[in-house]
Amino acid sequence: MDYIRNKRIRLDKSRFKDRRATYHDPCNYGRQARRRFGHGFFEEPRWILSQCMDHWRDLYPNRMNQICCGGGGGALSTGYNEQRIFYARRKFDQIRACGADMLVVPCHSCHGQLNAVKGEYGMADLEVKYLWELVADCLVVE
Amino acid sequence: MAERISKENDGIQTGPGVAVTALNPGRCRSWPFFQDFCITCGICASACPVSGVEGFDPRMLVRMISLGMEEDAVSASWPWICTMCGKCAALCPMDIDIPGLVRRVRSLRERDAVPGILHKGLAAALETGNNLRLPKEDYVFILEDVAEEIAEEPGFEGFTVPIDKKGARILTTIHNKLVNTHTEDLKHWWKIFHAAGEDWTVPSENWEGTNWGYFTGDDDAMKTLTGRIAAHMEALQVHTLLWPE
Repeated sequence: MDYIRNKRIRLDKSRFKDRRATYHDPCNYGRQARRRFGHGFFEEPRWILSQCMDHWRDLYPNRMNQICCGGGGGALSTGYNEQRIFYARRKFDQIRACGADMLVVPCHSCHGQLNAVKGEYGMADLEVKYLWELVADCLVVE
Repeated sequence: MAERISKENDGIQTGPGVAVTALNPGRCRSWPFFQDFCITCGICASACPVSGVEGFDPRMLVRMISLGMEEDAVSASWPWICTMCGKCAALCPMDIDIPGLVRRVRSLRERDAVPGILHKGLAAALETGNNLRLPKEDYVFILEDVAEEIAEEPGFEGFTVPIDKKGARILTTIHNKLVNTHTEDLKHWWKIFHAAGEDWTVPSENWEGTNWGYFTGDDDAMKTLTGRIAAHMEALQVHTLLWPE
């Protein structure tokens, strides 16, 4: 945020102007951070996303009511894979209802889970992107 | 272990049929999660995305701890198919910290019985500084190789990766998958640093950014791994940490 606000980096908002992007709140950055530390990081990533593109659409529900991707708490590494895939069914209903073709996330676990199971829900073409990857893709370099 | 008066259901080693005399309410009263305040309303079970999977029911888990059925909870798969997403706790009218309770139950598993690779990865990180047991020279080779690829892109000429740079402004850690199967994903932050003219560095040892003690309920391991990152910051005199994991 500091880089963008202080103009240390410049971003090209036209790069993804034809894409339908949305944003997923990781549990540990949002709901759990609010519980443990008194502040959920809900607005900061949305602000960054808005610096990368003029139009994107939020999932519903979101923020404190966001639906977990199913990959948190070490679930990618417990071996309970069938359970983990089933877990994501509500997540993909939500993404489908939003109509997105790009899902931006700032969490390694969410990214891994969403990419790993999107094919199971007929959404193999959904592009799952790290928030910092989106920023890097939009960089204007001289 | 509670005496059973009927068969267990849905794969969990407990069920509706536990003799009242075998219960031990108060046994876990020192646990700081407010589990004894449960009014059994079931909002947690309605909110939970894995309710019903392997018979899981967060309300039942809270009641089991409240009634002292610790062994049954610890041996169940439930605490491990829960992702500790916290939706249950966010909606609980009694503000019971269900994810905290789940993590405590996880911590009571024998370490060799922790499912999957979670404890193995953590043990590797404690022994070698990373979950993969990746030797330092291989790690440095991968970082420098990726840096050379970036330097070939227009606008990033001359890009190098500053390893163990004393006095840098930012220290960042590395997620093990980025020096394993996803090396392309190392590039995003590095490109942002380059474009911003940032003075940054990465450690050559103990670089692991994940901390699987969080998942396995191992507070001592968490402290050790976090302490290593703090030690890097002191040794390199870096005041800002970027810890994307």
